[in-house]
Amino acid sequence: MVGIVLVSHSYELAHGLAALASQVAGAEVRVEPAGGGPDGGLGTTGDAVRSAISRAESGQGVVVLADLGSSVLTVRHLLEEGGANGHIRLVDAPFVEGAIAAAVMSSAGQDLDDVARAAEEARGASKF
Amino acid sequence: MTWPVRQRRLVVPANSEVAVALPAAVALHARPAATFVKTAIRFRSKVSVGVNGKVADAKSILAVLALGATGGTVLRLNAEGEDAPAALDALVACVTGLTE
Repeated sequence: MVGIVLVSHSYELAHGLAALASQVAGAEVRVEPAGGGPDGGLGTTGDAVRSAISRAESGQGVVVLADLGSSVLTVRHLLEEGGANGHIRLVDAPFVEGAIAAAVMSSAGQDLDDVARAAEEARGASKF
Repeated sequence: MTWPVRQRRLVVPANSEVAVALPAAVALHARPAATFVKTAIRFRSKVSVGVNGKVADAKSILAVLALGATGGTVLRLNAEGEDAPAALDALVACVTGLTE
């Protein structure tokens, strides 16, 4: 299954969303949070993102969602350094809806392209 | 002498529709919605689910959640494609078997 990584400035936000996505999609999908700075405050670190990606990867690729601003930059730097091979995909998607859509698509056995597309299409989804 | 055999064309229903009610105690939210969507994704047909005049793509978790279908609500399922009847059979079984 495609892994999902959730990058946030906030430890609680990343972990809470990972719990929600796992609850909706089922525990078989790897949804890995990376949130908070090195001092326990708000922030994102490349190390946390790198380790979340390696936990999420099971050979089918990983979709990465980031909340805002510098967490997006952290992921982009990391992927550029690592010589991104397209197997790890940062998607431009709303954080909550994108994570839920991606986790459900992954749990249904869809491939990296479909999971990434579902996350990005979440932008156009109405809540009610 | 042999009678000419009439060519019979295989008729594939292009479009099928069925109505099914959610179990009284199960709303189409979170986990039940994901179970429903995962069942729909298994089929090639285009599948939609209608509730009180709103229609959603049955393969989109966000669209299905946005329906806000509560327990006991009647879902109108529509499938279009070669495996439409099988998709509807599977979805009806899925809906009637949903638990919280």
